[in-house]
Amino acid sequence: MHEQAFRFGSARHLVGVVGLPAVIDHGVGVIFLNAGMVYRVGPFRLHVDLSRRLNALGYPTLRFDLSTIGDSGASGQRLSRPEQVVADVSDAMELLKQQSGSTRFVLFGLCSGAQNAHSAAHADSRVVGACFLDGYGHRTFGQRVRHYLPRLLSLSTWRNRLLRRGGSASPRPAEPAFVVEPLPPKVVRAELADMLQRGLKLDFVYSGGVTRYFNHIRQFRECFGRLADHPGISASYFEETDHTYVLTGDRQRLLDHVAQWMGRHFPVTRPGT
Amino acid sequence: MKARIEAELPFYFGPGRELFGFYHPSAAVTGAAVLLCPPFGVEQIRCHRLYRQLAHGLAESGLPVLRFDYYGTGDSAGESRAFEWTRCLADVATAANELRNRTGGARLLAFGARLGANAALAAAQSARLDGVVTWDAITSGDALVRQYDRMQDALKVDLNRFEVARPELDVSTQWPGFERGEGLRAQLQALRLLDPGMASAWLSSAMTDEASRPLDHHVGRQVSVDVSPRWDDVDCLEMAILSHPLLDAAKRLLKEMA
Repeated sequence: MHEQAFRFGSARHLVGVVGLPAVIDHGVGVIFLNAGMVYRVGPFRLHVDLSRRLNALGYPTLRFDLSTIGDSGASGQRLSRPEQVVADVSDAMELLKQQSGSTRFVLFGLCSGAQNAHSAAHADSRVVGACFLDGYGHRTFGQRVRHYLPRLLSLSTWRNRLLRRGGSASPRPAEPAFVVEPLPPKVVRAELADMLQRGLKLDFVYSGGVTRYFNHIRQFRECFGRLADHPGISASYFEETDHTYVLTGDRQRLLDHVAQWMGRHFPVTRPGT
Repeated sequence: MKARIEAELPFYFGPGRELFGFYHPSAAVTGAAVLLCPPFGVEQIRCHRLYRQLAHGLAESGLPVLRFDYYGTGDSAGESRAFEWTRCLADVATAANELRNRTGGARLLAFGARLGANAALAAAQSARLDGVVTWDAITSGDALVRQYDRMQDALKVDLNRFEVARPELDVSTQWPGFERGEGLRAQLQALRLLDPGMASAWLSSAMTDEASRPLDHHVGRQVSVDVSPRWDDVDCLEMAILSHPLLDAAKRLLKEMA
């Protein structure tokens, strides 16, 4: 294992782990952003597994905590949260460049991590690709039909609803409130178009855990129109998985997917092991 | 504040530098230091912030702290399925030596939640610990294994998480979030909580689960804390545990032992 822990950033407020392949060919480096409030190892250690898989394939990686998340502190700068995220990712790219020689980067983010990856990818020309897990998308007419129609026709749904009204079903516990305000769809489309024009490769992966806003691969075209045809963009729908990939087989499938996508768009000339 | 954060150090240590650690130095010197032993699996991720807050609080009150990850967990080397009990105990001893070296031979205390408590108690002798504070220590390994199995069964048909129930093949040989081997299962089943015969204190959540129900002979040293981590609830797998009462109680007990 070639991993090293760092404190870094403009105020040395960030904490992250750099993973290096045995042979570095100065290709792209991959940076992992926090999934919500989960610290840098990712949900069920997803970021650790994926970064080590990519290291074995020849890619340098950095998994780190954004300001005030996980082990990272506050920067002390007077920046808005979106500005701070972009600044932190910039610091992360600088560290990975120092350690690996990489000057081009791919960002990986799940949920709010995908939204943050989108912002950083749009803002910084060093980003050449991004993998968005349960990232931007919005409800469409088709999504509503697919979501509500089966429920309207389902006897068990009505039975459950009536039972709940009678107070016999226990409510789910409250979840921690950490929601990143999403950008309006029009702005997302415009920024994605900008990124594709700059030559970025973008991969969208949606899980079955977000059917409240995305429930069929066809919806990607409903959301993003002609952008869906661009050769730099790809989308997948892992219908059977949940939002955080709690099952190891689902995580393995995701790892395979990301490794193949990286190999297709950012091939390594000298594999790491 | 900034000076303190600057001094905190993430690093790899141990033979082969396979273990990840996070050292929190203390400006004041009290002659004692604290090793934080994490729980296992998803519980380790749920407790991350709590452990960090505890480390800050202890360091501020004069007790240097080392947090660390066992082999096969967190940022340490090894795949998740490589986690096993014997190695876990060896890692506690390795981490204790690391902390002792960094603090110039201070008396060592330990804090552990759930299996982290058991690990600290079981390794107390080899790690030369002088006292242990536990939180919801596992009092029945059998019950813990049953609990993990039940949670995995519940996960399989959790329609808040999956659109359709998952087949047995997709969930077998796993505990929530992590692959597990038969060896670990047998090791945990055989787990018994032994009194270490040293300074110890037992924190217990307001609502205990089957696996961490307090034993009769701990009652005198048991402190009940108003926190409900819901260790056995699959709806809470992604929920961080934050609790000021727990932090206050743990800090107070460790400072008393120091």
